[in-house]
Parts: sequence; C-alpha cells; structure tokens
Amino acid sequence: MASPSRPPLDPSRLSVKETKGFSHLRQLLLAPEQSELERLKNRLDHYILEPSDVGRVLPDAIRLRAQQDSRLLSSMIPITQEALSLSIKQSPQLISDSIAPILGPAIRKAITRAMRGMVQSLNQTLEYSMSWKGLQWRWEAFRTGKSFAEVVLLHTLRFRVEQVFLIHKKTGILLNHVVADGISGQGEEVISGMLTAIQDFVRDSFGQKQDDSLESLRIGDLTVWIEQGSGAILAGVIRGAPPTELREVFQETLETIHAQFSELLQTFKGDVTSFEETCLPLEDCLQAQFEKKSKGLPFFFWVLIGLLLLGLGVWAVQARSNQQQWTQLLERISQEPGLVVTSVEEQGSESIFYGLRDPLARNPEQILLEAGYSPKQAVFRLKPFMDLTPEFVQRRAHRVLQPPNSADLRWETTHLSVVGHAPRAWITKANLLGPLLPGLMSFDTNGMAGTEDMERFDTLRARLEKLSVNFLVGGSALTVGEKTIISKISEAFESLDKQALLLGLNPQVQVLGFTDSRGTRDANLELSTARAENVVDALPINSFRALKIEAIGKGVSISAEIGGLPIGGRRAVIRVVRPQGNLLESPK
Amino acid sequence: MSDPRAIQKKVCMLGGFSVGKTSLVKRFVTGQFSEKYHTTIGVKIDQKSLCVDATEMLLVLWDVYGEDDFQKVRASYLQGSAGYLLVIDGTREDTLEVAHQLRALAIQSMGPVPYALVINKSDLREAWQVDPEMYKDLASNACLVLETSAKTGEGVELAFAELAKQLLNG
Repeated sequence: MASPSRPPLDPSRLSVKETKGFSHLRQLLLAPEQSELERLKNRLDHYILEPSDVGRVLPDAIRLRAQQDSRLLSSMIPITQEALSLSIKQSPQLISDSIAPILGPAIRKAITRAMRGMVQSLNQTLEYSMSWKGLQWRWEAFRTGKSFAEVVLLHTLRFRVEQVFLIHKKTGILLNHVVADGISGQGEEVISGMLTAIQDFVRDSFGQKQDDSLESLRIGDLTVWIEQGSGAILAGVIRGAPPTELREVFQETLETIHAQFSELLQTFKGDVTSFEETCLPLEDCLQAQFEKKSKGLPFFFWVLIGLLLLGLGVWAVQARSNQQQWTQLLERISQEPGLVVTSVEEQGSESIFYGLRDPLARNPEQILLEAGYSPKQAVFRLKPFMDLTPEFVQRRAHRVLQPPNSADLRWETTHLSVVGHAPRAWITKANLLGPLLPGLMSFDTNGMAGTEDMERFDTLRARLEKLSVNFLVGGSALTVGEKTIISKISEAFESLDKQALLLGLNPQVQVLGFTDSRGTRDANLELSTARAENVVDALPINSFRALKIEAIGKGVSISAEIGGLPIGGRRAVIRVVRPQGNLLESPK
Repeated sequence: MSDPRAIQKKVCMLGGFSVGKTSLVKRFVTGQFSEKYHTTIGVKIDQKSLCVDATEMLLVLWDVYGEDDFQKVRASYLQGSAGYLLVIDGTREDTLEVAHQLRALAIQSMGPVPYALVINKSDLREAWQVDPEMYKDLASNACLVLETSAKTGEGVELAFAELAKQLLNG
C-alpha cells in the first residue's frame, strides 16, 4: 500500500523540539555551504569597497576611460591643479627637488644662449664702436632713429635665423615657434597655415610627386627654408645669406623632434602643449653669423697704435737719455777723485753703490744732486779709505798743516817744501806733522821764515830807507855834517845784514844818487853816480855778508818817494830792492 | 585661464563661388591677410580663439576659394582638417550641387569629420530658392544646421562656436 503523500515541511509549524532537530539536521547536511552563504550575505548587507579592490582595477579603469573620451582628463585637471598647488605650498622643497633635474639644464642652456647672444652683440657693438665705419654707422643710427646696435647688426649680419616654425604636416597647425632676441612674432598660427597652404599650392601646381615640396622661399634679404619630415615641417626664417650647413642643422633638429615625438605627431588632434619641449632643439636652430672685419683693423686702432708707438718712441728716447745720463753719472762718480765704485746694484727704483771713499772726497750725494737726480734714487755704501794720489796727498797736507797765506806748499812728486813765512810756532808744528803725512817721502820747511823775523827785517829796512845823504850844489863829496848820517846808515846796514843772514836772504840794496835840475843831463847823471858811489865807498861794505849793495846814479830827481821821503835834489837815498831768496817772494 | 593656443583645430570653409564664406569669416575674425590670397593660391587663413566649455581653443580657419568653373578646390588644402563649415547660398539653388561635390571631396580628403551645414544669406530669406527638403541629405550627416547672415551676423558666432564644441568633444 502506497503511503499517502506528505505535505512539504513547513519549518514555521514545527514544534520546538522539531525545530531543534531540523536545525541540527540542516547543520549536519549543509554546514559548509551555509556558513559560506552567511558570509556572502553578511558581505552584501554590509558592503564596503576595499581599497585593495579598487587598486586592482584602477589603472586599467583610468586607461580605458581615457581612451573613451577626454572627460576623465577634464575632471582630473582641477583636482590635479589643486593638489599640485597644495603640495607646493606644503613642501616646496620636494617639488623643487623633483623638477630641478629638468629645469636646471634647461635654465643653464637658456642662460648660456642668452649670454652668448648678449656677448656676441656686445662684441659686435664694441668692435665697431671705435672704427671709422662705426662713426658712420653712429651717424646713420642718429639719422634713422635706430639703435646703434641695430645698425651694426644690419651692416654686419651675414645671416641670422630670426624665427623657427614647427608645423604639423597634416593639419598645418603650428606646434611650436621660437624667435631670436629682439624679434617679435605675429600671427604665427596663421603664417604656419599659409606656409602649409603655399607648399600645397606649389606642390599641386608644379610638383610631380607627393614627396616633392617647396624647400625655400625668398623675399628681399629674407629666406624661408623649409624642411619636410614625415609628421612635421620645420620652417626657418633667415635674414641674410645662410650657409648650407644650416640646412643640416635644420634637418638634424627635425629628425631629433621626430625621434622624440613620433607617436604624438601621428596621433595629433590639436593639443600643442605636448610639443612645448621642442623649444630647446628649435632654439638650437636660432643661429647667427656676423661678418668678420676683413679690411684690417679700425682706424682708431691705428691711431691708438700710432699714439702708442709715439709714446713708446718718446719713452725709448727718454729712457735712452736717462740711461745715458745715468751712465754719465756713474762715470762721473767713478772718476771723482777719492771715490772708488766697486759695484752698483739696482733694487727697484733705487741704485746701491758699493765702494770706497776718501773722507776728503766730495760727497757723492752732492754729485747726484748736481746731475739732477734725487738723493732717494741712490744709496752709497762706501767704506772709508785713504787716497794716495798727489791731489789727495796735497789736500790732506793742506788740511793737516793748515798753512797761513804767507806760506806756500811746493811739491816735487813725493817731496813737500814749505816756503814763505809763518809764525815760528806753526813752523815747529809743521816740522812735526809734515813728515807723518801719508804719501810723502820727504818734507822740509827750509824755505820758511818766522813771521816775527820778517817783521823785524821790514822794520830795519824801513829805518834804512828813511835815511839820506845831502850834497852841496855841484858837489859829490861827503860833507862833514853828513858823515854822521853815514855812520847811522852804516849801522842800519849792519843790522839789516844780520837780519837778512838770519832769514837766509840776500837782499839787494841800491844807493841812489840824485841831482837838482841845474846842469846838463849827462853832467847830472855823472854827478848823481859819483854821489851814490861816494856814499857806498863810505860804508864798510865788505863786512856785509848778505846784502848786495850797488851805487846807481839817477840824474835829476823826479817827484817820487822812497821810504816815505821825497827823493830828488842833491842827495843820495837807499832802497832795499826785492830780497834774493824764497822768503820774501810774494806769498799766496 | 588656460593657454588659448594649447588646443588648435584646423577648420575649412567650403562652399561654392560667392556663397559668403569669406564674409562669414570676416564676421567672425579680424583678418590679417589680404583677400587676394584667394585668387592667387586659393586659400586665405585666419585664426580665432574661442572658449568652449571653459576650455580655450584656437580655430585656424582655412577659407578655401569657392569652387567654380575657373578654379577647383585644392584637395590638399583640406587635409588635416578637424572639421569644416559647408556653406550654401540660400538664394542660389546651384550652390547645393556644389556643396554635394565639396562634401564628397571633404570625405575623401579629411575622412568622416564633423561639419556644420550653413545656409547663408538669411537676410534675403524672401529670395531663397532652397528649402530644408532640398538639403536634407546634407543636413542628415551634419552635426549642426544653421541659417546665417554674414550681413547681419545672425547665427555666425553660433555656427563657429557649435562646430568648435563638436570638435573639442568629438
């Protein structure tokens, strides 16, 4: 018998006991699945997106969304900008460190380029500012209102790349554009388009193939060189006549850009910001070359050289003259008696003289001054010595002996005689010092007389010359009365003779006879002679050893005086003529 | 403010002879180059910066000389365009035919890029020889159809702005 079918089990109608049993049974049968189900249910009920989950899918999600459209990019721009701004505010050093490796070389390169341009411009300006041409250009600058540097540039420019365009080949859109210093761009985007259009036009009109293209345009002194790449065109606007090597620079630059930006060029959709980094290679194309001055050096340079040469000539002449003067001075110092220069050392502006100097020699500084030099220009380091040349022996003798004016030093090579008269004390001192004088072999004062003895001789002579013998008219005989006078005269002669002997003199004594004016000349001469002879005869002349006495008739007397007395008339007078010997010779 | 030159789009002005392309461009920009470029090399280029959805962009407008019996539009000028304005003269039915030919040329040169169909000379609406039915083929693929008047300026700014928007977002 078939068992009746049972209704499905309804857990809600189970008793407590049954429920427990049911749960137990379910747990036995479905425990693993149940716990898994509960875990999943729990996760769904309390779903929290785990970062790890997002992290897994985020890169792919961003890539896929970015491929779809640019909305994600647009959404991220403000967030990125804000994040970047905040980051810079909070840790500027971090940003600085991050971009330094990029900015550093770029800044250095930019500064180098700017400095190079500035130096070149400065060089140009300086080079021409001193020339005759430079003056003409200054006038031109003044006339045209342009700056001098600009005029120099225009005249000396061989070529200069003023602008470089990097153009997207397919669209004609300007990807980047750089200009030289002092050049201002205008409507580059449109120029870029027009350049592309012109190329298309020329190619369509004249080109045989698609690859054919316009390579250069020229108007006035401006040339546009166009280099074609697969994705971009490089056009350089050049003033002047560029060298063919520049074309290679353009080509290399374009190749470099293609190598770096190939993919961007292929997928270009109008966003030119990606091509900002092409600035550096493009700026390398901004080359310039200026004419070297071939026509010699500037006018003012020659003037300057002329002045310099003139100055040099004057200096050389002056130097030569100075040298000559200096040589003459050296010679003069060397030849100066009592100075011996052994060496001269130059120390800066100072000359040091080494050598010997006799104390009696001239001060060399005085010689320096006389030659027009400052004493500061020379230092004399001279050791004392004794010069034994005759000149210095004599100087030394004069200095040591200090002879009075009445004494004369007489030299015979190395022998010194002193003649004249001097006080006896001096003669005594001279006799002591003279033989000791260096350079002298012998010395004597034999020719010297004591001044006191000379005075005595003079006194006696004066006394003798005051005496006279009178005669009668026409007579020559001695009268009785006059014999007394003869006696006095004889005594005076004797005294003078003794003094002359003492002094070593042989004075000549003249007895002069005179007449009055009466009678003939011959008779008077004869009478006067007789009168003189009679007087001499009356004297004991043989007893006089030094005196040399002679009688002289003088005829009619003239108005003259001997020994302070008038001579003339009928008389005989005595005159002591120059003494024989050295002592009474006129002193110095 | 973003750099207005960051995003640039080449846009061609296409249309038959004397449909008013140059006048539309003149309404839109202040030109820099002489009109004689048209008759010499067949194109004149201008630029205009716009702000579309807070994004600055630059439209480089290639005003291509209108096709007529004497001069053909150079296909090379169209290459690389992001979009174009196809201009019809409302008062001349024959410009429709030229527009069709130019569209075919545009597809051939540029590919399926967005274009705005512009029926110009709306100031002479009473003299119009064309109606929407006649240019529905051209309008069906255009991203924008506008009636403009270069003389009064009606719709000119809008035509360029809307095309620019399409180019930016497309």
